[in-house]
Order: sequence, then C-alpha cells, then structure tokens
Amino acid sequence: MHMIRDVLDKQVVDRNQVKIGKVDGIVAQLRQGKPPRVIAVEIGSIALARRLGPLPGRWMVILVAKLGGERHAKPHRVAWSKVRDIGLDIEIDVDVRKTAIFGWQDWLRDHIVGRIPGA
Amino acid sequence: MKKLLEISLGVVTSVGGFLEVGSLATAAQAGALFHFQLVWAILLGTICIIFLVEMAGRFAAVSEHTIADGIRERFGFNAFLWPLVSTLLVNFLVLSAEIGGVSIAAELASGIGFQWWALPVAFIAWLLLWKGTFGLIEKGVSLLGLVTLCFVVAAVILKPDWTRVAVSAVPSLPHHDTATYWFMAVSILGASISPYLFMFYSAGAIEDKWDKSYLGINRAIAGLGMSFGGTISIAVLIVAALVLGANGITQVDDYHQLPLMLTPVFGFWGFVLFVASLGIACFGATVEIALQQAYLVAQGFGWNWGEDRKPREDPGFTMLYTVTIFAAAIPIALGLDPLKLTIFSMALTAASLPLAVVPFLFLLNDRSYMGEHRNGVISNAAVLFIIALGFILAVVTIPLQIFGGG
Repeated sequence: MHMIRDVLDKQVVDRNQVKIGKVDGIVAQLRQGKPPRVIAVEIGSIALARRLGPLPGRWMVILVAKLGGERHAKPHRVAWSKVRDIGLDIEIDVDVRKTAIFGWQDWLRDHIVGRIPGA
Repeated sequence: MKKLLEISLGVVTSVGGFLEVGSLATAAQAGALFHFQLVWAILLGTICIIFLVEMAGRFAAVSEHTIADGIRERFGFNAFLWPLVSTLLVNFLVLSAEIGGVSIAAELASGIGFQWWALPVAFIAWLLLWKGTFGLIEKGVSLLGLVTLCFVVAAVILKPDWTRVAVSAVPSLPHHDTATYWFMAVSILGASISPYLFMFYSAGAIEDKWDKSYLGINRAIAGLGMSFGGTISIAVLIVAALVLGANGITQVDDYHQLPLMLTPVFGFWGFVLFVASLGIACFGATVEIALQQAYLVAQGFGWNWGEDRKPREDPGFTMLYTVTIFAAAIPIALGLDPLKLTIFSMALTAASLPLAVVPFLFLLNDRSYMGEHRNGVISNAAVLFIIALGFILAVVTIPLQIFGGG
C-alpha cells in the first residue's frame, strides 16, 4: 500500500457511514533502527493548513483556538488501529458524535441553523 | 417504460440546466451583431459539454464519487486548491449574474428597478433550497424551464434561411468587428461549457443514487439533453439575428432591448414569454449554482452533504449555500449592471476551463475509480481537444476582453 496514493486525501467515513472528512494528514513515528510506523491519520483545518506551509499552519492554530478554544488547537487524530477498511473510502471504527471533529458543525446547528424556522 | 420516463425527465432537467442568463445573453448579442455567423460556437460548445457531462455522470455512477471528490482525492489538497478557488470565484460571479437575470425579469414585469429584486430573489431561491428536496428542485424548476422552447417556435415561425444557418455551423472569419467577433465566440463557449454544469450533474447523480445500471440512461441524457439545450441557444441566436439585427439593433448593451425579440412573432404574449423564459431559466440556474458551491466545498473537504437531508443534519453544507446566495445578491442589489456582469463572467468561465477539465483526463482513466468503464479512445480524444481549447481560451480571453469586450 502507498500511504500517499491510497490513504492521504481519501474520504473518511465513520462506523455509521457518516462522511467525516478527508485524510488531511498522516502521522508516522520514527523508530531507532526500524522503519517508521504509521500511528494515526489527521483530519481538519489545522492539518490542512500545515500542508500549505508552516506559516498558514500557525495562523490556523491561532484562528481555531480563538474560535473554538484551546482544546481545538490541535489537529483531530484518529489512531491507525481504528482503520477498518481501505478502499476508495477509508472506513474507521469510530462514532463521529463521540469525537470533537464535528464540533464546529454542532456549534453551527445550535447557534445558527437550528434557530432558523424549518431546520 | 420506467427507463424511458427517467430519460425524458433527465433530458428535460438538463435543458433547464443548460439555458441560463449566459447562453441567452451571449446568443442574443452574437445574433444581433453577426447574424448567423456564430452558430458554430454554440455547436462546438454543445458538443464539448455533451462529452464532459457524459463523463461526469459515468464517473459518479461507477465510482459513487463526484468529480470534486475525485479531484481532491486523486491530486491531493494542494493541487485541489487551484480548481477549488477558481471555480468558487467564477461560480460566484455567474450566480450573481443569474440573480441579476431573474431581477431583470422581475423589473420588466413590474416596472420596479432590478436592484430592488436581488434580495427577494435570493430569499425565494434560498427558501426552496432550505425546504425543498433535490427531486423538487431538479424536476420542478426544470419542467417550468420548458417555457424557453418558445424561442424555438419563434425561430421556426420567422422562417430563417436554413441553408445559411447550416453553413454557419462551420467557423468562418468575420468581415467586421474582428475583436468583438472572437470575444463573443469565447463568451459563447464559456456559457456552453460551464464547469458548474458538469460538476452539478455528477453531484446530482449521487443525489439520485445512480449506479452502473444508469450508464445507458446517463449517455442518453447527456446527449439528448445538452443537444436540446444547444438547439434552444441556436434558436435564440436566430431570433436575435432576424428581429434585432434586421431592425438595426446590432449592439445589445441594454437588457431593455431584449424583450423586443419575441414581440414581432407573438405580440404582447411575446413580451410575457420572454420575461417568463428569462426569469425561470435564471432562477433555475441560481438555485443550482448556489447548491453547487455548497457541494464543491463539502465534497472537497469530505463533509456530509445532500439536499434531501434536513438543514440541521448538515449544518456546514446548509450554511454554505445560505451565505453564498445572499452574498451573490449584494452586487446586484448595489446596482451592478447584470448584462455586463454576465458577459464578463462568461469570458472568465472560459478562461478557467483548463483547471476544471484537465482532471477529467486522469480521473476517467483511473482504474481504481472506473474499473472497466474507463474512457475509450474517442472520449479521451474529446477531453484532449477540450483541454487544448481551454488553454487557447485562457490565453486569448483577457486581451479579447480589452479589445473586443468594450
């Protein structure tokens, strides 16, 4: 398997087939005398901004921390051990509602969308 | 029988999607100034869009991914940013122009200035997206779009010299206003080969839950639907040539001239039909482009999306079209001339084509997405041709805009 070709940027779906984002980053652990090991995938705006360069990455951290508080100031990580299936989509054994990945969507629902009649 | 119904519905919908303020305005301008001479540009644009729409539908039916999904996944985020930003920007201008088109129709019908209509139009379109389902938008709005067939009826009643129309299917050099001629050709191509059209089509295929059994239906809809759309555009050009051009109106630079197109044929009802055609075609496009902006972002970033869900299920997706549609109404509400904006945004669409079309070459030949349904020789030749055309358009648009767009 090629991590960049087959994993990076692919659609991630959770245990209930909810589309929760694309694989925005891959985290590998360097080990002394052994090949590096993939430990997690990252999802979200901070991971994406870092791919554009260190500066956009730092800006995004500041922006996200301002909007969402310090607990959002790190990219969302899903442990590699949770990955169930790698096909056209990457299926993970996680329920998105139990993570902070959709925190901003929940905020939008509670504060804006949910208040408009007919939502 | 069910298939036949599905195909005819699909054809009707794509006719509704094809004709909008851009194709109406560019065809009318071209007909008034150059008689039938630019028929070839509509024909060429229609053939190109048939291929792209067929491929977008086939990609969605086979891979269950949209074109936007595919670009992000296959080329990575950094490469995806370019088509994302350029398409969002161009679509925003086109959306503004469509809202302007509906507003002008409302002005012609009511006498109240178009800028007052921009926000109400945006609100009604938003309400339809908020409460409606994909099926309602796709079928309802497009069915109403059949009113634009009045241009075809008018073209036939006016008894044009059909041999001259047919001869114009082959490109020829202009005898006057050379820069304007090529600028109009570019705008017509931009109006026909709109990225929003094939991107929306691939998202629609997912919304309608297409699978491989739809490949035949897809081919029929792409071929017939876009051909009908092109036919109506050519009819607009013919009517403009025979009514506006023949009465000395060669420069269509004010939208108040446009309703005159149908009055010699249908009298007062010609005015009503024109206003209805303009309003409905542009309203359909308004709804579709606003939705496409939300699709593009949600698909590119991998969020949940779908017009059939309730707004509270997809807050991110819902907010995208809400913000887009009201923001796009602002330039019109501030009094920006919709006709100028239309022509400008059509040329810009043409210039942005390479970014939107180059990915087709890779995606449609990718075995992991397409399996055995990859592009054949003809489709690949068509894509290469459209890419080459796109690059030429991208290079010539800006200079032509300066010398011929004035």
